[in-house]
Amino acid sequence: MSKLVCKKCVLDSDIPGIEINTETGLCHFCETYTPLLSQEKSEYLSKIDELFKNCSGKGNYSIIYALSGGKDSSYTLYKLKKEYPFLNVLAVQFDNGFISENAIQNAKKMCKVTGCDYFQLTIEKDILYDTFRKAAESHDAFPNFAKYRASDICNICITIIKQKLIEQAIIQKAPFIVFAFTAGQSPNPIINLSLNFIKWSRNLFEKQLQKIGVDDKDELFLIKSEIIENMGENALSILHPLCLWEYSEDKVLRTLLEIGWELPDIKDSNSTNCTLNSFACYNHLEKYGFHPYAFDTAGLVRSGEMSREEGFEKINKELSKQLIEEASNKLKLKPNNFKKSVTTI
Amino acid sequence: MEQIKNCIIDYLKANSFMDKDTKFGDNDSLTQSGIIDSIGLLELVDYISEKYSIEIPEDMLTPENFDSLQGITNMIFKLAK
Repeated sequence: MSKLVCKKCVLDSDIPGIEINTETGLCHFCETYTPLLSQEKSEYLSKIDELFKNCSGKGNYSIIYALSGGKDSSYTLYKLKKEYPFLNVLAVQFDNGFISENAIQNAKKMCKVTGCDYFQLTIEKDILYDTFRKAAESHDAFPNFAKYRASDICNICITIIKQKLIEQAIIQKAPFIVFAFTAGQSPNPIINLSLNFIKWSRNLFEKQLQKIGVDDKDELFLIKSEIIENMGENALSILHPLCLWEYSEDKVLRTLLEIGWELPDIKDSNSTNCTLNSFACYNHLEKYGFHPYAFDTAGLVRSGEMSREEGFEKINKELSKQLIEEASNKLKLKPNNFKKSVTTI
Repeated sequence: MEQIKNCIIDYLKANSFMDKDTKFGDNDSLTQSGIIDSIGLLELVDYISEKYSIEIPEDMLTPENFDSLQGITNMIFKLAK
């Protein structure tokens, strides 16, 4: 049967697990999609507003913020502090060994502009490269659920960030962790984390690492068990305000450029901060045959935040060969080590 | 009970990229068999709370209650009573 493309988003029947209804022409995600109504969005925003206003943090910070230095996280930090200047924010930037110098400068600048503290989380490069290499060489190590949201390499990286931000929030006794996920990336605007769930998600990540051959016995990537035990009664929530705000890439960039954020110097259509992303996408395409941003992009198209044409352009854009080669050299992997080569996507 | 179980299977088939023909037993681990991850679990919690109009206490967010079809079904049955 020839490939069917969903009439509404960018998913197609060649992607494993995606079904297109021949009668409606829609994929099963578009068929069951129920958008957040503007009233629901307002309710969530009011809840967040209330949480912030009633926040009585026992520590130095009210928010531990995931700042990559890319456009979305820089913009969200700016808007958040503009609306809630009283929040004490610790912005954490994870140096995964591949963040661009421009992203570091942008992150520091954003902290200066917004009056937030900056903390760079670092892990020994060799250990990180070894882990990313193992993720690249792994096959089906992650649940389908994760595999469709991001590449294996990005899944490792983002999970390390989540683990270490939760750890930081417990240490700092901060009640909130904020990520700048778009509507296509985040399932819920407010996630309350219970101690049980934190322990469980830590164990799941530990097993995923073991599956790719990484034994994190020093708890460099995982939340330290000792710290979880000291969490006590402190409540902890993850918030995704960006998915509730109106999103326009043009508006985000315009706002940022006005306040001194500088356009990235890396040529990657999907990341403005990470030089590993092109390789991670290439690796995912080689292994699974679909773009790791397809589902995220489909979500943005489905919700009307991106046109279908822009969506196709995004996932069909050729990856940067230069970035792929640079990253594979760092990881001591050769692109032609993979089963088949992809020149364009 | 069977109705609840079928409802969860339908949800997983529609939301977790499971192949149509995937078969799993009532006590198989959803996380270890690669069907769902921690983000998926949170979405599932939301879906169950809304679908069955129940509030799931935080101390019930455990693998025993959420990592298998049987565990989820039992938990919903208990809370929806």
